[in-house]
Amino acid sequence: MTDKREAVKKLFTEKSARVDTNRGDIYYQRLYAQCKKRLEELKKLEPLGNKVELSEVLSDEGYDRRDFMKWVSATTAMLMLPSFFEPLVAEAAEVMNRVPVIWLELQDCAGNTEALLRSDGPKIDEIILDIISLEFNETIMVAAGHQAEEQLHDAMETFKGKYLLFVEGAIPTAMNGNYGTIGPSGETFEEHLVRIAEHAAALVAVGTCATFGGVPAAAPNPTGAVGVMDIVRGKPIINIPACPANPANMVGVILHYVLTGQVPELDSLLRPKFAFGYRIHDNCERRAHFDAGEFVEEWGDEGAKNNFCLYKVGCKGPMTFNNCSIIRYNESVNWPVGVGHGCIGCSEPDFWDKYAYERPMADANIKAPTGGVEKTVDEFGLGVLTATAVGIGIHAAASALAGKKSDEGEA
Amino acid sequence: MKNGYKRVKRMTATGRIIHWINAISVLAAVITGLYIAHPYYQSFIADPAVDKYVMAWNRWVHFIVAILLDVTSIIIAYLYFFSRFEKPYKKIIPTGKNIKEFVEVVLNLLTLNRRKNFDSSHNDSFNTVYFTILHLMLAWMLLTGLQLYVHGLGSGLSSIGEWWPAMLHLVTDWTIPVTGGTLMDVRISHHYTMWWIIAWVMFHVYYQIWRTIYWQEGDMAIVFGGSKFKKEESK
Repeated sequence: MTDKREAVKKLFTEKSARVDTNRGDIYYQRLYAQCKKRLEELKKLEPLGNKVELSEVLSDEGYDRRDFMKWVSATTAMLMLPSFFEPLVAEAAEVMNRVPVIWLELQDCAGNTEALLRSDGPKIDEIILDIISLEFNETIMVAAGHQAEEQLHDAMETFKGKYLLFVEGAIPTAMNGNYGTIGPSGETFEEHLVRIAEHAAALVAVGTCATFGGVPAAAPNPTGAVGVMDIVRGKPIINIPACPANPANMVGVILHYVLTGQVPELDSLLRPKFAFGYRIHDNCERRAHFDAGEFVEEWGDEGAKNNFCLYKVGCKGPMTFNNCSIIRYNESVNWPVGVGHGCIGCSEPDFWDKYAYERPMADANIKAPTGGVEKTVDEFGLGVLTATAVGIGIHAAASALAGKKSDEGEA
Repeated sequence: MKNGYKRVKRMTATGRIIHWINAISVLAAVITGLYIAHPYYQSFIADPAVDKYVMAWNRWVHFIVAILLDVTSIIIAYLYFFSRFEKPYKKIIPTGKNIKEFVEVVLNLLTLNRRKNFDSSHNDSFNTVYFTILHLMLAWMLLTGLQLYVHGLGSGLSSIGEWWPAMLHLVTDWTIPVTGGTLMDVRISHHYTMWWIIAWVMFHVYYQIWRTIYWQEGDMAIVFGGSKFKKEESK
């Protein structure tokens, strides 16, 4: 209850959700000087575990300096910085291995890690995530059992208060959290997260499970899954939802941290505004077909062949805030709506129950306000109308039978 | 006028104009709103491109009638307390007199006009409560609708300045946690409320016809000419 009240209070006092893309020369000059200073300091530090140079890895993967600089300009624009920040962003990418990262894997499908690992060829975003100083990652590390535990302990001790903690996956809270345990001591996910979060500089919740509970938290949510921000208090938390989270946004957040030493500006759901300040619908390439009333009626029909709007097959672009219609996935190769499937709202809270049903909201089975039975909104509405009509019908018939007599004279 | 009846003024010209603006706006909002929620006719025809703006026109009509409803709602909220003709709020305060009248009107309806122990020539408490329910629902539609509308102004800019989206966020963002925490919940609530408003309209129209027939005081004339008729006491 207190939380809800706090949330409402916060909503009222929140600055408007507006994304300020131009804060004026003075602001950017000052930010430039500040970032420059921070980068100088980082450069003096030795690279942590990962000593490879970015330029070498890039050329090994077949990218030349020009490709890298193209990526730098795109990323600078994505972070909403003026173009004279490009040299700084390039430098920041090169010193990213000075920032220690611990990556936890909790209740989820490891899809965010997979999205990074399984791309057809590593893109620059993914390469940069490869060379960050990843001190601990449960999914891809070689060590196991006590050995892994020791490595985690070492990383936490060495970088106490400095490491960024990336969390992937929801946290089960039902049955005292025993739906998910980890490590040789059988620690629950919740204990594990709280213990490691204690000494983190900031937390980055990656993917919708870690941010809002995601698929594990879908109704009836048997494991009582919740997101990181429901468990950890008193730490800066950055949410990067989406299923999977876009590697470009992960790099954006780390770059922002490396550049400024601070978390980026966040919205009321703690999502960075540079990535979640815009609605998918407003930058969608099929938007013209929406306004024209040209819709795909069923998969593979004539409309689908003509790239019509996917609203009637359930696209939730009009209610979803994310930058995938702008930056897309895998370095702008494509994105869900581009390949002909509507948006399922994967970066919004409760998306599995409330967005991902592949039909317009009016036709979806949603719990009626009375609870219990799942009905579509329109079925429920027609039920209300039928009840009203039946009531009126009975009353009208009774009135007609009873006649116009009133008891005025007799009373 | 029929002999033995006297004319009773019940609605001002302003009131009647507002009534018909509201009636037409609600009808238009329902027709276009159902299309926006689920486009139920197609524009998948070989029309010239210039005609193909079906969803956009539907949304345009929906927003225009929404603005009309918003304006009349503000006027009605004002008249509710400060009207020089009749102040409806006086009939909604739960005083003994109002409660008794409310119950008597309900009993009149349930006993099929066999019992009629109230003065039907003036606006009664039941009607005022019913009227208030509609306007609370319209206010809810206004707030949730503007919340859905401001999603399209993500840039924080609008054709009339930055204050507009900023104000909309300030005034309507609370509908998100209240409806369930997501943008979709606001939309679901907006859609459900439409069905309740249609049900409200159904009973409203039925009840006015029923009263006209059974009370025999020409209630249906109120919304057209502003007056109804009452039997002279002397008779």
